[in-house]
Amino acid sequence: MDALISVEHFSKSYGSQKAVQDLSFEIRGGELFGLIGPDGAGKTTTMRTLVTLLRPDSGTMHVQGFDVSKDIRNIRSITGYMPQRFSLYPDLSVDQNLRFFADLFAVPKKELAARLERLYHFSRLQPFANRLAGRLSGGMKQKLALSCTLIHNPVLLVLDEPTTGVDPVSRNEFWNILRELRAQGVTIIVSTPYMDEALFCDRIVIMHEGRALAQGTPAALIEQMQLPMYALRDSDVVMRFAVIEQTPGVVSVQTFGDTLHITAEIGTDEASLTRSIAAALGHDVVLEPIAPSLEDVFISLIEKETRHAT
Amino acid sequence: MQRIFYIIQKEFRQIFRDPAMIGVLFVVPFIQIVLLGNAITTDVKNVTVVFTDLDRTPMSRDFLQRFTHTPYFIPVGVEEDYTALPEWLDYGRARIAIVVPEHFQRDIIRGDRPAVQLLVDGIDGNSAGVALSYLSHIAQEHQAQVIALEPQLGRPLRTVRLASTETRFWFNPEMESKVYIVPGIVALILLIITVFLTSMGIVREKEIGTLEQLMVTPIRAWQLILGKILPFSILGFLEITVAMGFVYLIFGIGVEGSILLLFFESAVFVLTTLGIGIFISTISETQQQALFVGWFFMIFAILLSGFFIPIANMPDAIQYLTYLNPLRYYLVVLREIYLKGTPLHLLIPETLAMMAFGVGVFGMAVLRYRRILK
Repeated sequence: MDALISVEHFSKSYGSQKAVQDLSFEIRGGELFGLIGPDGAGKTTTMRTLVTLLRPDSGTMHVQGFDVSKDIRNIRSITGYMPQRFSLYPDLSVDQNLRFFADLFAVPKKELAARLERLYHFSRLQPFANRLAGRLSGGMKQKLALSCTLIHNPVLLVLDEPTTGVDPVSRNEFWNILRELRAQGVTIIVSTPYMDEALFCDRIVIMHEGRALAQGTPAALIEQMQLPMYALRDSDVVMRFAVIEQTPGVVSVQTFGDTLHITAEIGTDEASLTRSIAAALGHDVVLEPIAPSLEDVFISLIEKETRHAT
Repeated sequence: MQRIFYIIQKEFRQIFRDPAMIGVLFVVPFIQIVLLGNAITTDVKNVTVVFTDLDRTPMSRDFLQRFTHTPYFIPVGVEEDYTALPEWLDYGRARIAIVVPEHFQRDIIRGDRPAVQLLVDGIDGNSAGVALSYLSHIAQEHQAQVIALEPQLGRPLRTVRLASTETRFWFNPEMESKVYIVPGIVALILLIITVFLTSMGIVREKEIGTLEQLMVTPIRAWQLILGKILPFSILGFLEITVAMGFVYLIFGIGVEGSILLLFFESAVFVLTTLGIGIFISTISETQQQALFVGWFFMIFAILLSGFFIPIANMPDAIQYLTYLNPLRYYLVVLREIYLKGTPLHLLIPETLAMMAFGVGVFGMAVLRYRRILK
C-alpha cells in the first residue's frame, strides 16, 4: 500500500494530561481523510504533530517518507496547515497576505500570477483583493486562510476544524472547494466535530479522549455497527426514556427531539422488543426499524468505550 | 536571505498601514523634546522664601535684599515673630525660612560670626541642596561686601578671606540642565522604540496566531528574528535622527562630535535593547504583558542611568548596581559625543561595556527565542 502518510502508535501528553494515546492510521495519496471527534479528542494535537509544530512523545509519523521529528523543513515545504483559529495578518490586505506567504514559500515570480488567479477563481475573493483581511466575513476569512495554505501547491493539506463557526452556506461552499482540490490530487486531512461533515470524507478515524475508536469509510463504519436500531415516535414517552433503557434487550436510548432512537442487542427480534417496551411503559408502542446514522455509530462506540473502562 | 527582506517588507507595510504612524514618527519626538527638554530641569528657580529680621539694621536689610534680586528666590513674606515661621513651611507657602538674629550688624562689625538660621523644606532633597548652595553663595557675597567696607570701619575684621574661587563651567557654561537632559532624551527615544516595538511586534504574531503560520513555512528562526528586529532598528535610528534635528532647531544644541561615531555607539547600544525586546517577547503571551514587563524594565533602566539623578549622588551599593545598566554607558557616551565632541579612543571602556552587554543579552535572548520556536 502506497501510504502518503503513516502514523504509527503515536502518543503525546501535556504534563500528566494524555492528549493522544497509541494512535495509528494510514492515508493514501489523494484521499480526503477525516479526524472526527468532540473537543478534547486529540484531533488538533495529531494535526499539529503532523505539520511539525509538536514532536511525538512516542511512535512515529511520516509524510511522503519524511519523519516529522527529523525532516522538519522537508515536511513544511510540502504541507499546508490551516489552524483552527484565523491566523493571518488582519492589517494586511487579502492580496498582501497571499503574496507574503507566496514569498515565504519561494513561489517563483513567473508562476505567482497564474497561481493567484487560480486561487482567486475558486475562492471568489478577487473582488476583495484589496480589503484588509481583518474586515472579511467568517466564511471569506476561511477561504483566504485556505488560499494561503495552498499558495505553494502542497502535496498535503491539513485543515483543523475549518468549518467550525462558519455559516451553513459558506460551509457547503468550503466542502465543494475541498472536493475540487481532491479531484486535483491533493491529499487532505480535515478535522471536524460534525458527523454530517464526516460523511463527505473518503475515510475517517473516530477519536475520543485521545484514542481511536474506529476507522474506515463512513459507510463501512455504519455497516459494521450491525446493531438493530428502532425509532419510537411518541412525544409522550420521550421523558420516560430511562424506563425504556432499563428494559431487557435495549442497549441504549438517545433522544432526538420528540423521537427516541433505541439500540437493541444483536439478535433481539422486533416483536419481542416491542412487547417488552410496551410492558415497561404500560401502553402499546410502535417501533420503526431505522438504519443507524454515523452519529449513532459514534455514540454507541463511546458507550462501548466507557462500559469497557468501568 | 530573501525571506528576511519579505518579512521586513511586511513589517513596514503593517507599520505604515496607518497613515497616522508617519505623524507619530515625527510628532512624538518633537513633543518629547520640547516638553521634556523644558520640563525636566534640575535648575532650582523660584524658591519661595520667608524672612524674620530680628536685627532691623542697614546691614541685615541689605543681606535680605539680596534674595529679591535673583531669579532663584521669591520672597513671599515677612514675619515679625520667628515662631510663626514653621507654619509657612508646614503649609508649603514657603520652602525656606531665614531668621536674621539680633545684633547681626554689631557682631559682623565686631568680627564675630553671627549665625543666620535657615529652615529648609527638605522633602525634595536634591533641590533643597541646590537652593542651600545658592544661599551660602549669597551670604559669601554679602561678606565680601562687608570686608570691602573695612577701611570705613577703621579696624580689621577677624574673618579675612585669603583666596576666592572664580568658577567657570565648561561645555555647559550657563549650567542649564536642558543641555544635560536633551541628549538623554535622544537616548530614551531609541530605548523606548527598540524595546517596545520589538517585544510587542513579536508578541503580536504570537497573539494573533500568525507565528504558528510562519513556523510551518520553510523560514528559519534566525531569518524570522532578523526580519522582525531590523525594521524596528531602522525606525529607531530614523527617530533619533529626527529627534536630533529637533534638538538643534529648538534648543540650538548640535552634535559637537562625530555623528558617525554617535550612530556607531547607538548601534552597539541597540543590540542590548533589541535583546531585551526579544527576551520580553519570549516571556509574554499578550501585548499587554509585554508592555507591562517593558515598563518595569524601563523604569529601572532610566532611574539607574543617571538620566535624572546623578549617579554620584546615589548610595554606594546602588552605584555599583548602575554598572549593570547598559543605558548608563550609553548616556555617558551620548553626552560626551553630543556636548564635548569626545573621540572614540576616550570612550573605549563604555563602548566595550555596551558591546559585552549587547552580545550577551542579544545572544541569550535569541537562543531562548529559538528554543521556544522549536
